[in-house]
Amino acid sequence: MYKPAHLYNASLSSGEGTHKAIKATKEFLNSLGLFPETDADFTVNLLDDSDNIVATGSLVGNVLKYIAVSPTEQGNNACAQVVSELASHAYRNGIIKLFLYTKPENESLFSSLGFYTLAKTEYACMMENDKFGLDKFIKSLSTVPEEYNESQTVIGSIVCNCNPITNGHLYLMETASKACRVLHVFVLSEDKSMFPTDVRFELVKKSTAHIKNICLHKSSDYIISSATFPTYFIKDLANAENINADLDLTLFGSKIAPALGITKRFVGTEPFCAVTNSYNQRMKAILPKFDIELVEIERTGGISASKVRKYISEKNFEAIEKIVPKPCYEYIIANYA
Amino acid sequence: MQIKTVGVAGTMESSDIVVRVEPNTEKTGGIVIHLESNVIRQYGNQIRKVINDTLTSLGVDSAVVTAVDKGALDCTVAARTKAAAFRAAECADYEWGGGK
Repeated sequence: MYKPAHLYNASLSSGEGTHKAIKATKEFLNSLGLFPETDADFTVNLLDDSDNIVATGSLVGNVLKYIAVSPTEQGNNACAQVVSELASHAYRNGIIKLFLYTKPENESLFSSLGFYTLAKTEYACMMENDKFGLDKFIKSLSTVPEEYNESQTVIGSIVCNCNPITNGHLYLMETASKACRVLHVFVLSEDKSMFPTDVRFELVKKSTAHIKNICLHKSSDYIISSATFPTYFIKDLANAENINADLDLTLFGSKIAPALGITKRFVGTEPFCAVTNSYNQRMKAILPKFDIELVEIERTGGISASKVRKYISEKNFEAIEKIVPKPCYEYIIANYA
Repeated sequence: MQIKTVGVAGTMESSDIVVRVEPNTEKTGGIVIHLESNVIRQYGNQIRKVINDTLTSLGVDSAVVTAVDKGALDCTVAARTKAAAFRAAECADYEWGGGK
């Protein structure tokens, strides 16, 4: 057993902060090739008799991150102690579902600590602490739409943030729904957008009420969330962003899509956002491995949700009315005008 | 005792066990135990029995238990199971066994 030391809200990502323990934590991580990109909610360091850090780990939301053990102390159960400390802190604070992301060679170490693999690529492995977490999510998804589109046989999918829903999203969903017997639409659950999750979901629901073969879902932790996209930088991995996208898409392709019979994923072409565009490129590379066809639908009239948010900040509601569905326009007027 | 939510107790350290107790949503009900242990071949059935008996003695007849054992003794298994069950039942009405 090592002596544990706890830090709260440590700013591990920024260069500032003169707090000795935070500085020491950062130096320890950097010396092992880890460069935190986000700050931690809770950090535990294990100290030796001279108060040097020999192991560390942090909790960011429901993701265990920045877990590192000094090479000289490996095999002494330090990792188990770090994970235990982080997990009990999480449980005490009502965070029951935990995720982590590690190199494939550490998979067996974490599986011996009660974590189960969700998805694995050549470079990374995503794990969760609930053996049946993903099964429960999949079982919770309703697969029967109001009406089937009997003229088609394909089961398709769209994943979108809809922050907020625009006529562009609607066009994509309408076009896709005509090509599918059932269209599963996953609205991202992560609450980091201008429009809160519940609002985004409700506006999609209202705006798509006329499309009868849609099954609308919240994406939960399993599709493009902090858990599937841990902003995490590992020095010897050239392209962390691609690695995250590949994990997310591997999880979708290997577990979620087959459970629902999904064989197509529809996206709008992305001329504006580099991040989304590179994600689209990864979809082209990864999804066919799982027999899922990526269908790109040409974006209409340069409409984007970021434009809507810009118009809101400019109070240009006339411009908004032209590019969003009616329920969305009404919500914006009621809340921002 | 009614299991209402997820309760967890224990650590991943040697000689301990992490016990996670949650409601059993399957229609068949009952106590379902998923156990992982590096001594599962030697003591798997004994650990399952201790978990099952502990829950039964608390009046729990329906729960899903996921346990990751690190070589815990029976008394530890029972204590962790009890703590997890009380947490999952959102109950703090402990009957301490210490007397006066």
